[in-house]
Amino acid sequence: MSSHYRIPKQFRSIEDRLWNGGALVVIVFYTSVTILPLIWMLLTAFRPHTEIVRNVFGLPTSFYFDNFTTAWRLGRLGIYILNSIFYSVVATVITVYLSLASGFALTKLPYRINAAIYTMYVMGLLITVHAVLVPLFLLESRVNIDNTRIGIILPYVAFGLPFAIYLASSYIRHIPDSLIEAALIDGSSYVSLFHRIILPMSRPVMVTLLIFTFLSNWNEFVFVFVLTSDTALRSLPVGVNAFAGNLARDFGLKFAALVISTIPMLVFYFFFHRQISRGFAAGALKE
Amino acid sequence: MVLVLPALAIYLSIVVFPVIFSLATSFLKWDGLTTPSFTGLQHYREIFADPVFRLGLRNNILIVIVSLFGQIPIGFLVAYMLYRRMVRGSSFYQAMIFLPVVISPIVVAILWNQIFSPSGVFTEFIRLLTKNPRFVFRIFENRTFAIVPVLFVILWFYTGIYMVIFVANMQKITPSVIESAIIDGARESQILLRVVLPSMINVIFTTALFAVAGSLKSFDLIFAMTGGGPSHYTEVIAIFMYINTFKYYNYGYGSAVSVIIISISLLLILVLRIVSRFFEKRYE
Repeated sequence: MSSHYRIPKQFRSIEDRLWNGGALVVIVFYTSVTILPLIWMLLTAFRPHTEIVRNVFGLPTSFYFDNFTTAWRLGRLGIYILNSIFYSVVATVITVYLSLASGFALTKLPYRINAAIYTMYVMGLLITVHAVLVPLFLLESRVNIDNTRIGIILPYVAFGLPFAIYLASSYIRHIPDSLIEAALIDGSSYVSLFHRIILPMSRPVMVTLLIFTFLSNWNEFVFVFVLTSDTALRSLPVGVNAFAGNLARDFGLKFAALVISTIPMLVFYFFFHRQISRGFAAGALKE
Repeated sequence: MVLVLPALAIYLSIVVFPVIFSLATSFLKWDGLTTPSFTGLQHYREIFADPVFRLGLRNNILIVIVSLFGQIPIGFLVAYMLYRRMVRGSSFYQAMIFLPVVISPIVVAILWNQIFSPSGVFTEFIRLLTKNPRFVFRIFENRTFAIVPVLFVILWFYTGIYMVIFVANMQKITPSVIESAIIDGARESQILLRVVLPSMINVIFTTALFAVAGSLKSFDLIFAMTGGGPSHYTEVIAIFMYINTFKYYNYGYGSAVSVIIISISLLLILVLRIVSRFFEKRYE
């Protein structure tokens, strides 16, 4: 699709050749700066602490796997991964379903208050999580959902909604009104109309929303950090921070913990990086 | 309305109500337990006089500057090079540069801390280059420059996102426009400045909006990397707010800080809007 229409080599001007040479340098350099730290992290995780301290650049000399098993056990990473999966999946499904429903109602149904509600959601993009932490903490302890899974999932959903509704609305707005009118004439209710027509038609934006929301939920840190004191409820980022953040006596363990917590997302990236790009790109589009 | 209500109920109770609550408590002196007392604008006056807040604000402004004048231009240039297929294997490079986006800010922070630490790769590398085996990275002890490594990591972490946004939107430019420019003898720099850049103005400003809002909210990465330390040198407003609220239990003070964060982002976004109007007119 992109413009790979280029002038044959022998006709290129000096400027164009400079561009090509410069591009190679810039891009190879930039890619190395991005990737080498991650490769270093991965390789170092396979080395015992004493070796790392002796030479930080060294490569693993044998297939040394102890760091991983020890980090997994001591860091209780298994529980944290399960927690993270649970929070991210549940919160993502709720967020995406609700945002599509809201996106439909706010762009296609004839209520006067729609514009006001939509503006309120868009303003939410500016709100820092930290602005609500104290009242939210007080509120959750008042209704007794502090230190519970639901008390973690609800804020995930609430803070996922503004962007998801923004994205869902911009897609659903372009679904032709005639389809909706036809269904209404057939006597279908708004809710069944949403399930029968809008949801199936929104599949492309739904995929983007699911992946994008999942990504931000997976990496969410502050809510679990502040709203829970029970270590059994920790998500992976909070658990890794507690375990590896100040771990100075064994670098091998530290890196193994980082690698373990990064691998699920690398697999995720491997399968979905196109959709993730699309999510970011769609967010920055102006209608 | 059944379709809107569940989302609205969650949003109102978890975002809107607490924000209003914060606004109200920002005028109160309150530790969360005893009866609050009204102090009016007292907190706001104290905050702007607080040297730690000023340092945090300065650091936040630096982050905004790095996003606007570092991430966006670098992201744009790399995107253009990839879009024009100046190197072979564009999609491979694109996938690699975008990769940090999935990594948790916490992991990134711990990793880079280790790289800059006395036994880290960066330090060793400088030791080899300068042939000084005792070199230690001392920048964190410097009040003015302690933030620089943090800014570098922010640049490293987020530029890929801007690159991807730009590539995706460049691909929407009709290919024939560029083809005809080439046939007319346009040089590469002319294609960049006269064809691609003008059609991307909207996208650039929209990403700038997100960059400003995101920069002022930055917390996780810095919190896990330095915690705002040493002695507040790398503090940003969000961390300043966090410490005042959850360490000193000064809820009113902390709330006033979060009101300030929101006001500043509204203000900056307003300024950006005006600047973007100006540019849109120029390019029409």
